Amino acid sequence: MAGILILLTIGLPWIGGVLVWIAGWKRLAFRNTVQLQNSLAVIFSAVAGVASLVLIGFATSETVIRIPMGAYFGDLTFIPNGMGVFLAAVAAVIGSLAVIFSIDYMRGDPEPGRYYFMVLFFIGAMAGLVLSGSLLFMFVFWEITALCSYGLISYYNDDPKAVAGGIKALIITQLGGVGLLAMALFAYAYFGSYEINVFLAKAGSLPVVPLSVLAFGMLAAAAAKSAQVPFHTWLPDAMEAPTPVSALIHAATMVNAGIYVLARFYPAFAPVPYWKLTVITVGVVSVVLAALMAMVATDLKRVLAYSTISQLGYMVYAVGVGGIFASQVHLFSHAVFKALLFLGAGAVIHALETREMGQMGRSRADLPFVRVVFIIGALALAGIPILGGFWSKELVLEAGLSDGPRWAYLLALFAVGLTACYTFRMVWLVFFAKSTVQSDHAPHDAPLAMRTALAPLAFGALTTWLLAGPFSQLLSSTMPAQPIEPETTLEICLSILRAPATWLALLVIAAGLAAWWGRERLTWLTKRLSWLADWAAAGFGFETLNRWIVERVRGAAGDLAILQTGQLNWNLVGTVAGLLAVLAWLAWVIY
Amino acid sequence: METTIFPLIFAVPLVAAPVIYLTGRLGWRLNKPILEKMAGWLSVFAFLISGIILILAIQQYNASGPQTVMAEAIALRFDGLSILLAVVALGLGSLVAFYSLAYMKGEAGAEKYYAMLAAMVGVMIGLGCAGDLFNLWVWFEAMAVSSYLLVVFYRAQPASLEAGVKYVIQSAAGSVLVLLAIALVLMQTGTVTLTEIAQEATAVPVLLAAGALFVIGFGVKAALAPLHTWLPDAHMQAPSGISAMLSGVVIEAGLIAMLRALGPLTGINGRGYPAATWGWILIGVGALNMLVGNLMALKQTQVKRLLAYSSVSQMGYILFGTGVALYAGQLAGAQGGMFHLLNHSLMKGLAFLAVGALMFAVSQAHLPGAVDSSHAPMTIAEMGGAAQRFPLVALALSLAVLGLAGLPPLAGFMSKWQVFVAGFDTRSLVITLLVIFAALNSVLSLAYYAPLVNSVYKRKMTPSMQNAATISWTISLPLALLALGVVVLGLWPSLAQWLTSAAGKAILGSFGLGTFGW
Repeated sequence: MAGILILLTIGLPWIGGVLVWIAGWKRLAFRNTVQLQNSLAVIFSAVAGVASLVLIGFATSETVIRIPMGAYFGDLTFIPNGMGVFLAAVAAVIGSLAVIFSIDYMRGDPEPGRYYFMVLFFIGAMAGLVLSGSLLFMFVFWEITALCSYGLISYYNDDPKAVAGGIKALIITQLGGVGLLAMALFAYAYFGSYEINVFLAKAGSLPVVPLSVLAFGMLAAAAAKSAQVPFHTWLPDAMEAPTPVSALIHAATMVNAGIYVLARFYPAFAPVPYWKLTVITVGVVSVVLAALMAMVATDLKRVLAYSTISQLGYMVYAVGVGGIFASQVHLFSHAVFKALLFLGAGAVIHALETREMGQMGRSRADLPFVRVVFIIGALALAGIPILGGFWSKELVLEAGLSDGPRWAYLLALFAVGLTACYTFRMVWLVFFAKSTVQSDHAPHDAPLAMRTALAPLAFGALTTWLLAGPFSQLLSSTMPAQPIEPETTLEICLSILRAPATWLALLVIAAGLAAWWGRERLTWLTKRLSWLADWAAAGFGFETLNRWIVERVRGAAGDLAILQTGQLNWNLVGTVAGLLAVLAWLAWVIY
Repeated sequence: METTIFPLIFAVPLVAAPVIYLTGRLGWRLNKPILEKMAGWLSVFAFLISGIILILAIQQYNASGPQTVMAEAIALRFDGLSILLAVVALGLGSLVAFYSLAYMKGEAGAEKYYAMLAAMVGVMIGLGCAGDLFNLWVWFEAMAVSSYLLVVFYRAQPASLEAGVKYVIQSAAGSVLVLLAIALVLMQTGTVTLTEIAQEATAVPVLLAAGALFVIGFGVKAALAPLHTWLPDAHMQAPSGISAMLSGVVIEAGLIAMLRALGPLTGINGRGYPAATWGWILIGVGALNMLVGNLMALKQTQVKRLLAYSSVSQMGYILFGTGVALYAGQLAGAQGGMFHLLNHSLMKGLAFLAVGALMFAVSQAHLPGAVDSSHAPMTIAEMGGAAQRFPLVALALSLAVLGLAGLPPLAGFMSKWQVFVAGFDTRSLVITLLVIFAALNSVLSLAYYAPLVNSVYKRKMTPSMQNAATISWTISLPLALLALGVVVLGLWPSLAQWLTSAAGKAILGSFGLGTFGW
């Protein structure tokens, strides 16, 4: 049964994607092509979402599907363990909500076939990634998600920024992916199998050096995919994608793939010296730097992008200190409220036709429905009780306080205040500030399809925390290698409320909110810190680093081009030189 | 079946070549255009017949193993490697011939094109079946001559002639080195038959020098860096079907000739130089090819030049895989290298044919019905918006190019993966690091492949695309078939396993490695 559900969760979106593409063929000329494509996309993604939810009930730690793929490729296997089924459900359910939202958001787009194909292909691949039991096929699905992400970021091919953003995202995530590729190759060459269970079992027998290489390689892959410092520069540029894509891929699912592999392989790599410390550092640095960058950004989607980097940093930090459960709970609540915020932002951007917060404000963004759901999401992001974001963030901080270094905890706590501050700033600028731009007509509030997508997410942001208990039981029963204990929701909530760290965090949040509210009185501070603001706006030098690397490579290409003289004499010199080189090598080797 | 039929596989196209030429020429002479059209169809027909004979020969091979034919001193041998080269040459050749029916319609001298194409395919299959060095050299030269004539097909354009001259001179330089090597081998062992050379080979410097000369001599044709400099010009100026053949089969044939010639030098029972000697050279050159090809391709704005450098880079993976197999004596590298050879011919062939389709449509726009032979080079920017009017061509190009970059679920990923697995399997630190280097090169290649995809999927069409003529189904059909192949092999790589493992075993056997004897 689990096997069939897995095949449905992965296969239905793929089949749906192909059908939507075919439906758009000009030769077939249906009477109402766009409506047909919309319906197909929604139906297939919704059924896949249902299948993924049912699959949760069948979670197990065993391999349920095994298809041999030929020599050197191992078997295509799937293991529906707790982490996998939960992330697959997140991908499929939020995926179907994003598809529903797209009906209104992409209205008027001339190529819905290409769009829906890539979104649906992505949903299936993401589910495949987290359910995969083979390192090779996990890598294959990983690459497919990168391909779809690239295709959707550069969806508006005529916009050079979008194209550049897509290629940047593709290259950075692929570079990191080499770490995962090395892991899969190593597993096959040294353990004889791509199976993740085999790897987890045998990793302990490896000597320190190869294990460290694998551990740090995988960390690089995860950091690139989850946009952690220093590989984070692609995510803000990825905001050129249509907003439902930003919600699905760059908030709720693909960026979580990095957290997923970190958590999944934690038991194997935790003993490596300095690995956990590096993970903690990467996480905390991302948390703080991204929060600072969010404070000064003026593009609504970029604020959300930096916020995503920052919250992912919390998850990475949690894994680093060994709080696997905390990281997964925060992943879940973040997926819901960040998708909510992105889709809400999408509704605002669609209505006001701008992404700059400076051009929004009270009289322009008079969108009651959107305002309510957006504020719900913002409250969750800031960590206000009793929303999901509060509980999950507190779990992370507690794990950090009890199991991690003090400096990391203090930085993470500080960033909690920053988070509250920039979130409040964002909500204020979008909905409550005085508008600088006047519009001649009242903007339309979210249309029906958008509301259909936003409402369940808002409901989720309010209530997902109730599932924390059953979730811990699911994880501990299906993933014996992980350090997770089963508890009930009440136990979890009480332990959070009793911890002093919680009340400290709430104080910091209150300080953050007050800082924005009373910002006029803090101008002496903002003037002092303007150097920091400028540095943050310039991306803390990472953008410059990216540009430098690109220029170096282009320079190398240019230098090499000198050798391609186009003149026959030089070409023949090359031939003779090659011969001499080979003869010299042979002489050296043999004699 | 008792009779050996494999020589017919190359005999049919070779015999068909003059028939095709005469048919077309007569048609021109007697002013009967139907006969000119028949020239093209005849070549397609000849390839199909040859293909049927190939299938029968494969069945014979499956039943009774490799076959040899000896006539006086001429030896012909049909083994896994011959099958692979025949499949690739006939497969791509027939698709290119079919594609050219529309592409070369009305071109003056089209009968020469089809005749040379048939001859080239026949000669390449013969090269794969060569059982002695002299035979190998003759087929190799014949391939050079026929491909040269095809490269300079547009003889009215000076750039085309320049490319041809560079190609033929560099090719001749390589051939001279090969001839020198054959002379050295003959002097040392007293024979040119491959199996007999293996009996006589010992570890003497003469044979080492011969091996180096083989590597460089055949390496010019196989586009080893730094011998690859003829490639970009030749690909640019040739008709697109011939660019596809050059990248898809000719350079691969060069590599296969090299492997055939080097194999016997290993000798029996390790009396000659070990295969690893040649293995390390191929590994090193492979790594160099990947980097040089990628860096040069980054700077290109003309699509066909970009694809030519991409071929240099992709040859790197084939060389690397084969080199690893020779170093370690395992099948995985050879099989992976041969799988990548097969996939590369599919994907690169598809890419060139797709770009050619766009170039053809643009050239037809100005004077509908008449033929514009200027064939100005297509730039990446000029292809902008192609998907609006030519969705199949754009999709085909995207699949080809993303497959070449090694993205799953396309064929290129599967073959590159096999090469990488082979590399890690050797447990050698240097080779493991080179595998990582190769993977990083794949990522780098995305930097020039991805913009092609982005360009064709623009919403706004460039004037070239807007005014371009429609593309006929005879051009679209080969594209669709190749695209299907790229996707299918990506999802079910085991479909090609019988072919690639047979070829891999043949390579290892010829070097005396493993248990795969001659």
